[in-house]
Amino acid sequence: MRLGRDSVAGLIFLAVSLALLVQSFGLPQLPLVPVGPGFYPRIVLIFMAVTSAALIVQDLLARRAEPADVPAPAQPQRAYGLVALAFVIVALYLVLLPLLGYRIATVLFVAALQATLERPTTWRQWAVLAAIAIGTSAVTYLVFERYLTVLLPRGSWTDW
Amino acid sequence: MFELLGHGLLTLLQWNYLVPLFAGTLIGVIGGALPGVTITMTIIVILPFTYGLDPLQGLAAMTGVYVGGSAGGLVTACLLGIPGTPSAIAATFDGFPMARGGAPGRAIWLGAWSSFFGGMLGGLFLILVTGPLAAIALQFGPWEYFSLFVLAMAMVAGLAESSFIKGLLSTAIGLLITVIGTDPIGSVPRFTFGSEFISGGFPFLPVLIGIFAFAQIMSDIEKAGVPKTPEAVLAAQPSLRVSHLKVIGEILGRPFLLLWSTVVGILIGVLPAIGGSAANMLAYDQAKKFSRHPERFGTGIPEGIIASESSNNANVGGSLVTIMAFGIPGDAVTAVMLGAMTIHGIQSGPLFVSQQPALAYGIYAAYILAHLLMVLILAAGAPFMLQITRVRLAVLAPVVLVLCVIGAYALNNTMQSVYVLLIFGVFGYALVRCGFPLAPLILGLILGDQIEINLIRAIMTDDNPLLFFTRPISGALLLCAALSVALAVWQHMRHQARTPREGAPEF
Repeated sequence: MRLGRDSVAGLIFLAVSLALLVQSFGLPQLPLVPVGPGFYPRIVLIFMAVTSAALIVQDLLARRAEPADVPAPAQPQRAYGLVALAFVIVALYLVLLPLLGYRIATVLFVAALQATLERPTTWRQWAVLAAIAIGTSAVTYLVFERYLTVLLPRGSWTDW
Repeated sequence: MFELLGHGLLTLLQWNYLVPLFAGTLIGVIGGALPGVTITMTIIVILPFTYGLDPLQGLAAMTGVYVGGSAGGLVTACLLGIPGTPSAIAATFDGFPMARGGAPGRAIWLGAWSSFFGGMLGGLFLILVTGPLAAIALQFGPWEYFSLFVLAMAMVAGLAESSFIKGLLSTAIGLLITVIGTDPIGSVPRFTFGSEFISGGFPFLPVLIGIFAFAQIMSDIEKAGVPKTPEAVLAAQPSLRVSHLKVIGEILGRPFLLLWSTVVGILIGVLPAIGGSAANMLAYDQAKKFSRHPERFGTGIPEGIIASESSNNANVGGSLVTIMAFGIPGDAVTAVMLGAMTIHGIQSGPLFVSQQPALAYGIYAAYILAHLLMVLILAAGAPFMLQITRVRLAVLAPVVLVLCVIGAYALNNTMQSVYVLLIFGVFGYALVRCGFPLAPLILGLILGDQIEINLIRAIMTDDNPLLFFTRPISGALLLCAALSVALAVWQHMRHQARTPREGAPEF
């Protein structure tokens, strides 16, 4: 029998809570305080382990109750690949931020994510895209650094 | 009290406070009107701007966003039939049919003025009740606080729409996140695995921004391939001209409806971590139940719009009560406000009103003025609002994410907070995909430290654990917690026969 999404999530959280529970017994006991630093985490972890187990049981029972050949309800098409790509672009942005500095990295990020979500086809659309990327970077930089005195990342490669 | 309020109003009327308040309200109305952008996300976008402002300027801007957002959703709801935010869902039921029936102006202004009156009544409650409630909360010992927090979490987990167990597990995850790092009593590192990165624990705001903003943006991107619903139902520039006196008369001619919806909104607001999305649905449902002609609901009658819109703005007042009297956020929006207060070194809680009266009454004043500004903004901007809602996700998503990154980075000018943002962004999106409600997690995250501190403090004061049950207020709170869990279990059992509904996740 294949495990449902809930069972998998439940198993992961159960494993995490049990592993940390074991670790919590290794925490030192403090003088003066009747309960150690492991006392409260243990309550939380036991609570988490119990609810994770309950989630698994609930999922298994629900799967047993429903006949196997019921077709899954039609789900609208989801662009999971696009989501994964968006996360990768954000991750790259965070890698480049301390290297290129806020101004350059932000132009690249806004342009890249925009082009990924909606590929421009004409020169005009590319120009709009570039304008939005540069504009976002410039306006936020001016507002935060100059007006609000909120500091933004400098680039170690560019010093900009 | 009214002297302080008058003073607060005069302060807020100065340019340096009026400008942030106006900007906040305007951005709130726009954010509320944009489908796929919730009030929570709007306030997250505003957050980094408040770092550079003084506390009252920042809180005024945020209050403006909150009030404006609760009203902004109604424009898209009425004109396009798409709720701009979850708190405007019920406004589509009657607002859209009324607008399609040839009275778009009447629909919008019924909503706007209902928001105004509901909000004002909510404000009256806010001003009159916060002080006394805080005074009661001051009598609380660590036992009562612990029990109050337990009650808050029990209620939120129980109200999770998808699954009660997932609500509880979500709470546990939130609590676990706060356990990681040094312990609050003896500063012993816990579950850090010797890593420098998490030795100080996870900072609250980056976690919250990551979980909410990424879950929302990525869910929007996920649907990018889905064909859009046809938009051009109404003329591009519908005439919104209407007799305001007549509309106000229509609303005030139904005093019981207005009052009851407001009460529902306030109560939902006071309850922790359930936002306007629950308030407007419940108020609509109540209005229908009490109506003499329930069958006409959904056909474009004013009652439906009044109930929905007065409740969601009253809800804002209720949420502000909970955060100002107890330091417990009424929803994700107030959670961000709480985080912003902490950055400025302001401790929210029962001492807030008495120790920071200028700030507290400044928030009241901002709340009242934001409602007036909201009406003005709608009067001037409603016809153009439809153009704004055409902003494409491809433009919106990167700009919002850049502001999220600034919000995390500028907290302490380190990239660490930004990495935390991404880690919890991925985690939050995964949780939403698996059908976990996020509200219980956030509440666990906010209350985690306080729960532990009060629990340990109670045990250190007196090692008799029975005190949690025998002290009257603490015992009553725990009893309520047990009852709300029992009620939630009972309700879920009753509904189990029905097929599980894939509801829209609430952010």
